[in-house]
Amino acid sequence: MNKLIQNEMMKLIAKKRLIVIAIIIGVLVMLFTYAQYKQVQTQREKLGTSDWRTILQQQIVDTTNRLSSSRITDEWKKQLQISLQQQQYYLDHDINPSEPGAPTFMRIFLENSIDLFIPLMVMVIASDLVSSEHSLGSIKLLLTRPVKRWKVLLSKYLTLCLAISLIIAIAGILSYLISGLVFGYKGWGAPILTGFNVTETGLNTSEVKLMGQWKFLLMDFGLVWFVSIVVGTLSFMLSVLIRSTAAGMGVMLASLISGAILTNMVSSWESAKYFFMVNLRLTDYMKGTAPPIEGMNLSFSIQTLFVWWAVALFVSFFVFTRRDVY
Amino acid sequence: MNKNVIRSITGIAVLFCLLWLIGLGWAVGEYYAGTPEKIPKAKTVSQVENKKGLTIVALGDSLTRGTGDETGKGYVGVLIDEIKGKTKRPVQLTNLGINGQRSNSLRKQVQETEVGRQIQRADMVLVTIGGNDLFRGGQALMDFKTGDIATIEKKYLNNLKFIFEQIRKNNPKANVFFIGLYNPFIDLDQGREMSKVVRHWNYDSAEVSASFPKIVFVPTFDLFELKVNDYLYSDKFHPNSKGYRLIAERVASLLTW
Amino acid sequence: MEKKITLSVKNLKKVIGKKEIIKGLSFDLREGEVFGFLGPNGAGKTTTIRMLVGLIKPTSGTIQICGANIEDNFQEAMTNLGCIVENPELYPYLSGYNNLLHFARMLDRVGDDRIKEVTKLVGLTERIHDKVKTYSLGMRQRLGIAQALLGRPKVLILDEPTNGLDPAGIREMRQFIRFLAEEEGLSVLVSSHLLSEIQLLCDRVAIISKGSIIRTDTVHQLLANRERVIWHVQPLEKGKEVLGSLTGIDVTDDGAILTEYNEEKIPLWNKQLVEAGIAVTEMNRKMPVLEDLFLELTGGDTIE
Repeated sequence: MNKLIQNEMMKLIAKKRLIVIAIIIGVLVMLFTYAQYKQVQTQREKLGTSDWRTILQQQIVDTTNRLSSSRITDEWKKQLQISLQQQQYYLDHDINPSEPGAPTFMRIFLENSIDLFIPLMVMVIASDLVSSEHSLGSIKLLLTRPVKRWKVLLSKYLTLCLAISLIIAIAGILSYLISGLVFGYKGWGAPILTGFNVTETGLNTSEVKLMGQWKFLLMDFGLVWFVSIVVGTLSFMLSVLIRSTAAGMGVMLASLISGAILTNMVSSWESAKYFFMVNLRLTDYMKGTAPPIEGMNLSFSIQTLFVWWAVALFVSFFVFTRRDVY
Repeated sequence: MNKNVIRSITGIAVLFCLLWLIGLGWAVGEYYAGTPEKIPKAKTVSQVENKKGLTIVALGDSLTRGTGDETGKGYVGVLIDEIKGKTKRPVQLTNLGINGQRSNSLRKQVQETEVGRQIQRADMVLVTIGGNDLFRGGQALMDFKTGDIATIEKKYLNNLKFIFEQIRKNNPKANVFFIGLYNPFIDLDQGREMSKVVRHWNYDSAEVSASFPKIVFVPTFDLFELKVNDYLYSDKFHPNSKGYRLIAERVASLLTW
Repeated sequence: MEKKITLSVKNLKKVIGKKEIIKGLSFDLREGEVFGFLGPNGAGKTTTIRMLVGLIKPTSGTIQICGANIEDNFQEAMTNLGCIVENPELYPYLSGYNNLLHFARMLDRVGDDRIKEVTKLVGLTERIHDKVKTYSLGMRQRLGIAQALLGRPKVLILDEPTNGLDPAGIREMRQFIRFLAEEEGLSVLVSSHLLSEIQLLCDRVAIISKGSIIRTDTVHQLLANRERVIWHVQPLEKGKEVLGSLTGIDVTDDGAILTEYNEEKIPLWNKQLVEAGIAVTEMNRKMPVLEDLFLELTGGDTIE
């Protein structure tokens, strides 16, 4: 098995996909860093201060004013109320929700890339892991060795898991290094609040916990990793089922994007919560924002994703070990 | 390509894989088993930070917000622009106005720690309040003759007194400008009777203001008395940009340097 | 002495949907022989070969490689098998060496020595560390053979091994295959739709058409008694008469007489013609070809 994984790693590295992904992430992080920097600057200019309390207070008042507008939907209203309560909670407890520094940038970057950007990067690798062997024709050599087919597939799958771990590490390291140039490298110990519960009546703060940013970040990374593994496994399945890499990518891309759109629309369609793509924003539960559909929470989403993962993995192995190769 | 390179990349990947697994386990564990801990509320912030510029805090309702002004500035924005033209010091504005705010909710707002801190470091405080208490989105036109108004005003004055006390408690030095009400309904049939109520309301408000040091009541009733429709926004309630300019100029004339 | 059977196929069938693609093939391969698999495109050669190497599951029938059944004992069966199915599709972004390393890792007990050995055997030592995408087709073909030989297989299956090669490359490949069979004792199964190739390369041939084997025999046997002599005589009618009385004849459209080739009798027949006052203007020995045989057997199934 070890040898097989070495093989797959060798091919993966020779294809230089990881380098391409690293470059994409690097460029995007630079863009985001600049955007963030600009935003901080304009805010400072506008409010004439860089004091986070003043800024947060101002945000609270702004949100309150938006709430009083009669044109906003109930859904949006609820979201605003929750974020308002949360901001107030931070302010009341004298905790800066976004302590300036690279770790905070990293956290925001992760939270915003969990449902589309990182899965997209994972897809780049996962979707051609099997189908490229088909299109290249090398599958015929690979499967005529004295190695059982399930072992061949397992080695590919484990390599995918390793590659996903690397991609997330690359995203973390690059966002830390690049944003640190602008925001400074400090802030690992900054306090973060978690455990906000969104209930029918609003925000429940009775179970709020205080933790260091580094711990929160590690948890965020774990959740991002889990989401990536699930998305990766689904792309992997498509890569087994559909021999064309492009078609597999297309299907996966469509479902990821539809997920991003659906989360904004499905609040009244309750059974949509069983789709994998609306369950991707796991980090939001840690942060405590309202879920896209009522009744969703971290354990529900993790379970749903887990089922999708298991089915995808089963289908991949079932089909791959049985199928005739032409 | 070196075999060792591949081997070490694989090794690093395995390490990260484990690290993320730990993170995931931690997140799930924390979610299920983590017990909430008591988080200390912020103490009343006592120390005033060193500040360079002129700090202005605006409290109140939609007038503070600038509702109705096409330029979005409101009287606060216009006033700030004027101050900026006259002084070289940097000016910092914190606008805490909330649309539709009434005196009882402002009473709550000034009690908040952070708002208190803002007031504390202010050089000047601007307040507009009471319009929504009195007019209640036009409902006043129906019931201004009844005794209800008296109860409402009583409550309002009570709140106003409390608000001023809070401000003075936090900051005994800053100049406070309290903007009085105008009568937006002056051109309507009940305009004359309404004006009477507003004048009475303003008189009582001025009395409350006068009982505190350095709290200046700024009348606006006269500004809108003659050509009210020229100065009102299309909702016939909030001022338009011209109306806001009038208010701002009046406050500006009171500023001391 | 009968040589050992290395690959044995019995009653192999494949049904896809409702259509029977392969209709019960049976044949054996012996040590040291080159076995030709001949048939037109679409006859079922590729499907059969893919079943032999385990890419496609047979509907029924058994395949044994050195005694190991491919379905029950896949690993053992594949250990003794080397193959190239169609073109050798190796990883273009890896070097030749890494390609070999890749496949060596999938075999037991194949180390660096063996990689060097096969590289030398196919004559790629100089270019082995270059990326495969820089290789010519012939070099890729050789690398393909190298990877097939890595595990010291007893049976080598080559699907259209000369496809896309230039004449020199074809000759080289032919010599190499003969070398493997004769010197190394491998059983080689070669499929082709080119008769000339099979004729030159193989010891035995199975002719396949529409999913069945029409005939299996040694090339020698298949072609025996099929040599002809072409006579051009003057005058034709009299010549026909004389030759016709001696042996069976055919007359071609362009006015030549065909008879069987018989080393002993030809001089005699010639003498008799001359004695009968007939001028023999031309006498040619016509080499037999599988083409004719094939047409005869399949009843005109298309072939190149």
